[in-house]
Amino acid sequence: MSAAAAADLEALEADLLLEGVARHWGFDLRSHSRPQLLRRLRRHLREERLESFSALQARVLHDSEALEGLLRALSSTPTSLFADAAFFRDFRARVVPVLRTWPSVRVWHAGCGTGEDTYALAILLHEEGLWGRCRLYASDASEGLLADARTGVLPLPGEDDARRHAESGGRGSLSDYYTRDGNWALLQPKLRDGIFFTQHNLTIDGSFNEFHVILCRDTLLSFNRALHNRVHARLYESLARFGFLCLGRKESLARTPHAAAYEELEGSGHIFRRVT
Amino acid sequence: MSVGLLVVGAPRSAGADVETLLSMLPAHLPAPVVVVLHRGPHDLLAAPLGRRCALPVVEPDDKDDLVPGRVYLAPWGYHLLVDRGCVALSVEPPEHGCRPAIDALFESAADSYGAAAAGLLFTGHDDGQEGLGLLKARGGRVAVVKGGSESGEGQEGEVERLSLAEVGGWLTRLAYAARGRVQP
Repeated sequence: MSAAAAADLEALEADLLLEGVARHWGFDLRSHSRPQLLRRLRRHLREERLESFSALQARVLHDSEALEGLLRALSSTPTSLFADAAFFRDFRARVVPVLRTWPSVRVWHAGCGTGEDTYALAILLHEEGLWGRCRLYASDASEGLLADARTGVLPLPGEDDARRHAESGGRGSLSDYYTRDGNWALLQPKLRDGIFFTQHNLTIDGSFNEFHVILCRDTLLSFNRALHNRVHARLYESLARFGFLCLGRKESLARTPHAAAYEELEGSGHIFRRVT
Repeated sequence: MSVGLLVVGAPRSAGADVETLLSMLPAHLPAPVVVVLHRGPHDLLAAPLGRRCALPVVEPDDKDDLVPGRVYLAPWGYHLLVDRGCVALSVEPPEHGCRPAIDALFESAADSYGAAAAGLLFTGHDDGQEGLGLLKARGGRVAVVKGGSESGEGQEGEVERLSLAEVGGWLTRLAYAARGRVQP
């Protein structure tokens, strides 16, 4: 079989797998960014030592754990606290001063994965004295990832993590926020218990509250343009006027339906404010 | 088959060679050029690489259009994938210790452009060799560029091998083939 014919067959098998997952499990991956999806599926196939997407399909349709494994393989979240120090620094400098003037603040972290950025945000809000008036909601489509996030257990932060925390403007010591257990860090209950982790699938579930701050960073990279724009419509509906939308460093609102409703905070790493 | 996309991969050591390559691009290249140059978080590359290039050099945002006659440079910290006329950035884990990685770009080019993709790989790193093989298997036109003073005679394995001086001619033939598509 020629390489082109093999590629066509692989594409067909991928379509059938996605169709099966959508119809049987209700997870619609068909509007995900195609090149990224193919690469992740191939990697997952190698790790599972399977021959083809058809073999993966057979396993995933009959085994909910295999589905969780697949969803996990398709996700990607930062693997350490304060992974993007520049973002948290900008958040402290530009968003926190405004939050101080509000009596209560609802924050939604959409696509929290295993929770590293969620906990980093919680630490930041605590350091800034805002934790008492904030309600932090964190959601992900995958129950498996959420279960990991809820434990509040992370790989023990090292020197790099401490340095990034300091770069983000952190004043105290990162180790004040966890207790060590071997190579693991158990985050303090005051942080863990103050976060509402909830299963929410951005591709199909509606808006569930009105928020003053929404973090959705690099989560929408895995969607294609049409789905990306649909999700942005949902984020817009969920954001209060004058609320903040925090995107990834290379994500843009330019082609989304509500681009005109936002202003980018000058000099920030893609933090936007809803103005209408 | 005519060319709809040119992908270029280079290790950090080939930065100066990439600048030279970009200066050789025809001003009316009828295809987008996508470049992965291995980089660190604080390297500012778009401006220096664009200095001698006739085409605009940009670091795209996610889901930007791929427009013919522009050079797209992979930003630090993301893989740059191509998705039929549009940029798709990705935060998948680093490959060969690199993000952006050349293999990631080349694999996506093979998937979404197939034989319409052309690829150039500067030697000096493992990253990119597997992707170049994929591109070639799908019928894309590929070549390996030896850096600096090394001579570029002949073939490396099955792949055409060029010296930096020979790349100009290779690009001209590519642009000619690509122009052929739009002329009746």
